[in-house]
Amino acid sequence: MTLETYGGLAAVTNLRRPPKVLDTDALPETATAELAQLLTEAAAVPQEDQAGHARDAMSYTITATAGDRVTVLEQSDAAMTPEFAALLTWLKKHFAQQ
Amino acid sequence: MSRARPINCIIPPYILDRLLDSEDSEVRQAALDTLLVTARLRGERAVRASFAGAAAPGNGRRTVFDCEQVESLPNAVLARPEDGPEVADPSVNRAFDALGLTRDFYKEVLQRNSVDGRGMRLDGYVHFGFQVNNAFWDGRQMLFGDGDGRKFKNLTGSLEVIAHELTHGVTDHTSEFEYHNQSGALNESMSDVFGSLVKQWSLKQTAEEADWLIGADVWTPGVGGDALRSMKDPGHAFDNPQFGKDPQPDRMSKFIHLPDTKRGDFGGVHFNSGIPNKAFFLTAARIGGFAWEAAGTIWYESLKASSAEDEFQDFAGTTFQKAGELFGVSSPEQSAVLSAWQEVEVPVRGVPTGVARVRSFASSANGGAGREDGLAALARQIGALNDKVTGLVKDMAALKGTR
Repeated sequence: MTLETYGGLAAVTNLRRPPKVLDTDALPETATAELAQLLTEAAAVPQEDQAGHARDAMSYTITATAGDRVTVLEQSDAAMTPEFAALLTWLKKHFAQQ
Repeated sequence: MSRARPINCIIPPYILDRLLDSEDSEVRQAALDTLLVTARLRGERAVRASFAGAAAPGNGRRTVFDCEQVESLPNAVLARPEDGPEVADPSVNRAFDALGLTRDFYKEVLQRNSVDGRGMRLDGYVHFGFQVNNAFWDGRQMLFGDGDGRKFKNLTGSLEVIAHELTHGVTDHTSEFEYHNQSGALNESMSDVFGSLVKQWSLKQTAEEADWLIGADVWTPGVGGDALRSMKDPGHAFDNPQFGKDPQPDRMSKFIHLPDTKRGDFGGVHFNSGIPNKAFFLTAARIGGFAWEAAGTIWYESLKASSAEDEFQDFAGTTFQKAGELFGVSSPEQSAVLSAWQEVEVPVRGVPTGVARVRSFASSANGGAGREDGLAALARQIGALNDKVTGLVKDMAALKGTR
């Protein structure tokens, strides 16, 4: 699973940063199950309409690859579903601990 | 954010928000009652935002909310209203103070009543999300992340960043510069210009004394670099292993072409803003004194006179025209504007190249003022005019020959 962050007030610094990569095989079973549940919930809820007048909002792309199946979710700070936010926060907390 | 407020009633919440700003007390009360009933039914706290502003709409009343590290505005907690005392959370107080300074700058310097010119309430949301390295304007209010503490500090720590975001609201209510490509870079530049001016005004700094940095306080000490952007020296705000080198261009020949997508920063709006940023810096430095007085007024009047799709050259022409209207044709202020745009390689429409060259200022090493020698300038002006007359004579002769 990867997390890409781009845009925002500091867009010039985000453009060249590589995505953060999480190898779910290295996670404990409970964490993998929790993450899978969050991913399923985030993918099930349609993205909200983009806020047209948002300025400097940051965007995130979460890509999950399982065999041949690839799930790509993209949302921004200015128009984010609670389900996507929960998944994003989980990932951010995970990466913060690394 | 109003877009996501799950309030179910026949009147859309954004209309209720507008009604809360009404000058008619009965209309305000009716809107407030509707929101109260809806909030009671749903048991949500989203209505607090409307409460605070409804108590006394207008005049840019501030309200700061705490998102408690969640990306949700409806559940945010009221942290400090306009007439509330200082609180224990420094993020709340910093946001509150910066919103106030920005509001006061627009009121006292530019005679503008808040973001929309009609006293719009200023709502700020701190602790937005988990370690969000960003602050942004969502079209209605300001949101501040806490930063990750490793690269970015709490985003409420930078006055010019907060003023930058609020200025996006001002632009939305004036030129409405479209947020992509050159008009988007102008949109970003307006926010940098007035963001920096708010800071300079609060510190009572002259153009020479100011640092002209945007986001000087957002990076942790571990990150090398002065700031996110430098208006004085675009392309040189930072150079470190974490983020590489500041890529902002400072002139048209270095313009960066990026796709008009989110990933492409909508055509590089945060990149190419370096060009008009530098033009403003040069104008202010060459006029001298407090930048918010002459240069700031020229830019503000130009912002109001601009159109949504204007590009750099359009805006350069508008600033030149406004400088002439405000300070006189061929005034030092207008000449400063002209030479500034020339230096960043943006031609000003309607100004013959020869005349523009003559009026230009010789740049000193620090970008400060320094007129060309008057006699030499006059000689070149005469020379340019001579060339034109010679050309015209030749054209006339050629026309006669074809008859």
